[in-house]
Amino acid sequence: MIYVDNAATTRISDTAFEKMLPFLREQYGNASSRYSLGARAKRAIEKAREQVALAIGAEMSEITFTSGGSEANSWLLQGIAELFCGESIHIITSSIEHHSILKACHALENKSAEVTYLPVDGSGRVSLSDVKVSIRPNTRLVSIMLANNEIGTIQPVAEIGSYLHEKGILFHTDAVQAVGHIPVNVNELNVDFLSASAHKFNGAKGTGFLYKRSGPQLPSMVFGGEQERGSRAGTENIAGIVALGYSLEENVAEMRIIAARLKSMVDNTVQGVRKRIPSVKINGDAEKRLPGTVNLGFDGVSGESLMNILDLKGVCVSTSSACNAGKDIPSHVLLALGLSVGDAKSAIRISYGKYNTVEEVEYVVSAINDAYIKIKSAL
Amino acid sequence: MKVKICYVCNKENLSKNEIGLTKKLLSKDAKIYYCLDCLADYLEVETEFLLEKIEEFKNQGCEFF
Repeated sequence: MIYVDNAATTRISDTAFEKMLPFLREQYGNASSRYSLGARAKRAIEKAREQVALAIGAEMSEITFTSGGSEANSWLLQGIAELFCGESIHIITSSIEHHSILKACHALENKSAEVTYLPVDGSGRVSLSDVKVSIRPNTRLVSIMLANNEIGTIQPVAEIGSYLHEKGILFHTDAVQAVGHIPVNVNELNVDFLSASAHKFNGAKGTGFLYKRSGPQLPSMVFGGEQERGSRAGTENIAGIVALGYSLEENVAEMRIIAARLKSMVDNTVQGVRKRIPSVKINGDAEKRLPGTVNLGFDGVSGESLMNILDLKGVCVSTSSACNAGKDIPSHVLLALGLSVGDAKSAIRISYGKYNTVEEVEYVVSAINDAYIKIKSAL
Repeated sequence: MKVKICYVCNKENLSKNEIGLTKKLLSKDAKIYYCLDCLADYLEVETEFLLEKIEEFKNQGCEFF
């Protein structure tokens, strides 16, 4: 099997795996317990918090562990609505956010919040001028993702954050696809909140974190014990949190070398496919995008068919459309870029990760070309 | 509905699964169809593997099957 769908999830790093194991077996204490077994679990969580804080330029007290990116995003949006309870609030986000943001926004709209969904340009970028003209007196939050999950386009978050900071408007970025893959510093990005998910950066599934700048207090959404300084109740996923800390530390340390390798893999993929299929297009920004992610559009060929044939060849890629009971629904991201429904359904996403090899890239290119020809021949 | 025949071996009366698999793997607008064995040959996989895929697609609720 050749796994090139690392934007969906990643293989856990060997280091993270080894480090988490003792917390599933010998060191299974509850971090809230007062005896030594519990204290060791507590120390392991704080070690991970320190690793995260160092990785993103934050204070340890600003990191709260969650079950993943979706929880962090939902908590942030619901928390903001509760923070300004009684006010008619306005939130600005983009039309290409992850569904954990979009659906949370829709839920808030049903509770009378106003939400502006900013458009993007043909490469998937939000413009600062659109943010500026959308601000209203009651705008309480702007949430713009750092890097898009389908096309990899990186948003001008630092630029937007700088402006919002001056205006005193809270700013959140969903950095699930970015953390551990490109440099992320909360101060340079000028964000008040940032969400991340461990399994996207070679950690374990079921853990993530929300960065909250010191100052704004977000109401709790999970009630119970005093875990996470009382901001998120529930016994901590200690093994997962330990894996999160080590995988992030490792990815940040290797980032420059890995990013260069991933970019080269993507370039070779695009060139290799273009040799045989000159009409192939890159959806998203050709330059400002994640190093390992590329979304390719194939003229007149269904992305779902390509994905299925590649799957038969042992290659795991993702489509940009979701097949639901036989009806494939085009990606909201690709439609927002201005693609037609047909073009949006003709795309696949390839996302390389640090465990992919040059030999695998060659096989992927050959498999894509072969699958494309087989499909075209049936039309 | 026009009876679908296999493009390679001319097998007549292709089953719903065979028609569905051609649509699912090649194109819902496919102009040619394959029986299971010929599709396996064409895609260079085992017939058994395609049978497994049919069950997967059915479980996903695909209306082609």
